[in-house]
Amino acid sequence: METTEAKKTTKKDYRKLILEGYKTHVLEHGIAPKSVFKFAKDLKMKEEEFYNYFTTFDSIKSAVWLQIFEDTLLQVESQEVFKEYSAREKFLSFLFTWIEELKKNRSFLLSMYGEGSKNLVSLPKEANEFKDKFKDFANEIILEGKETEEIASRPIISDRYDEAMWFQAWFVFRYWLDDRSPRFEKTDAAIEKSVNLAFDLMGKSALDSFLDFAKFIYQSK
Amino acid sequence: MAEKLREQQAIPVSKVQRAAKFISTGAKVGGNYVKHYAKKMVNPSMDKEELHANNASDIYNSLSELKGSALKVAQMMSMDKNLLPRAYQDKFTMAQYSAPPLSYPLVVKTFQKHFSKTPEQIFETFTRSAINAASIGQVHQATKDGKKLAVKIQYPGVADSVSSDLKLVRPFALRLLNMNEKELDHYMAEVEEKLLEETDYVLEIQRSREISSECGHIPNLKFPIYYDEYSSDRIITMDWLQGDHLKEWLDTNPSQKSKNQIGQALWDFYHHQVHNLKKVHADPHPGNFIVQENDQLGIIDFGCVKVIPEDFYQGYFALIKRDLLMKEEELNQIFYELEFISDKDTAEEQAYFKGIFKEMIGLLGRPFHVDRFDFADDGFFEQIFKLGDRISNEKMFRKSKQARGSRHGLYINRTYFGLYNLLNQLQAEVDTTKPDWLK
Repeated sequence: METTEAKKTTKKDYRKLILEGYKTHVLEHGIAPKSVFKFAKDLKMKEEEFYNYFTTFDSIKSAVWLQIFEDTLLQVESQEVFKEYSAREKFLSFLFTWIEELKKNRSFLLSMYGEGSKNLVSLPKEANEFKDKFKDFANEIILEGKETEEIASRPIISDRYDEAMWFQAWFVFRYWLDDRSPRFEKTDAAIEKSVNLAFDLMGKSALDSFLDFAKFIYQSK
Repeated sequence: MAEKLREQQAIPVSKVQRAAKFISTGAKVGGNYVKHYAKKMVNPSMDKEELHANNASDIYNSLSELKGSALKVAQMMSMDKNLLPRAYQDKFTMAQYSAPPLSYPLVVKTFQKHFSKTPEQIFETFTRSAINAASIGQVHQATKDGKKLAVKIQYPGVADSVSSDLKLVRPFALRLLNMNEKELDHYMAEVEEKLLEETDYVLEIQRSREISSECGHIPNLKFPIYYDEYSSDRIITMDWLQGDHLKEWLDTNPSQKSKNQIGQALWDFYHHQVHNLKKVHADPHPGNFIVQENDQLGIIDFGCVKVIPEDFYQGYFALIKRDLLMKEEELNQIFYELEFISDKDTAEEQAYFKGIFKEMIGLLGRPFHVDRFDFADDGFFEQIFKLGDRISNEKMFRKSKQARGSRHGLYINRTYFGLYNLLNQLQAEVDTTKPDWLK
């Protein structure tokens, strides 16, 4: 990865330098840098140069999330078999790979989010951009799932499926942060089970037949 | 406080969901009893068999959804046929064949974790879905260099959930098996140890190799070759043994001669392990055996191997000597050593248990008392089941606070019951060889 980035323009290089510099700072000091001035100085660049790439530290964090997401997508789509996957398998594959990408940054993420992970029920604002991108991806899967009838279209609720999948991804992230099992096997099991549950719920089920029947009884009274 | 909250967020997926599963089964089983008694009021001639059948299917359904160690316990119970009413047995035997499969992305992920490659990158072909479900994993078929391979992949997190699964199974086992708590804990401790061993695939390969090479000289046996370069502690790659499972093979109506040959190979395999190697493939369920061309018996899955301690071996197998049943003194001595009876028992208890165990030994040792035994004799098995049923309903057994029998006996008993059972299914007549000191 290092080499491919380096071949690109110098502009990209600075961006990368800042991203990596930020991560390293957090990893080595355990906290975020105090000021942009100090941080830029450490990277041997001028403060105003820094603002060419990022305007706040939060936007760096946001970029970290996005980078992880994009690396995951690249990974996933490079697998031959991905195209043949069903919607359920695509989402599973995404989450499994995402966790692998997160793993590369585990220390960073732990020092950012590990301590107060119970507060993470509400989303940190720097993850918003990632969330939007994720929802685009989720909507693609949902659309495909609806086409193959893996996912049932239901009034009102089915418009919120992307939100549900986001909630699930976030649940997996929090689960993984606290996971103490070797090779994070429990997280794998959690992904497998929760995705199966989610897709079973989103798919056509006895519930639909029940609602249909209830509607019929109500209307024909 | 913060720590606590986090803990609770982490647990639900596994434990609470699993518990909920068991509770719903419990409710169903309860419901079956209600149904049973309601039906019985209408039709007094109805027997308990139907009730057992209903219970068995509900319990099985729940266990097979849980996979992992719970499924393993179902298997265990299905092996100990003496302990279970008939109707449970058939249903539980199904547990040995099918469980819902792992998703393919997880298979890919497991491969990437262990080999940093996807299955497609390693093998020429690799089946997307599982060909077979093993109790704590699933089997895919692959090819490489023109060879057909079987690739067994373990469900993630199984090793971690063994203990908590067993705790969940406990109340059910208690009710189903009519055991007292002491006895069950005794049993569970041994089961837990063995289950944890089974999740260690590296150990499994090592043992498979040991036993296969040491049993290689026995006629009509076939063992797969294991491939280290495609194996890890969660994945085992071995030769694909072409052939039929025992049940399928029996459906093809093989000749009596063929059945005897397979039966004899099976007997010899166990004889050599128990008496010469002192460690034994303790999982003789039909799914672990494959009949190949020319009536060769292929043996797979060495996940469960019981090492037999020397002092236990001496005492336990001395029991199968025929003339022993006559010698009161010597028999009592062995009963003490094997912890069948102890000083804590009252005189009444001692007399009672001695009687029961003597009856059991007389029955179970019968194949050893002759040179050739016909396992097709259903009458013999009927007697074993009857004795098992009778014991599980005896008040003396349930009241007794002692755990009876050395813990090593659990898996050895299971092995022999399994072996007898397989031979019975085969309807085979075999030379029941025994070591010289037992002749």
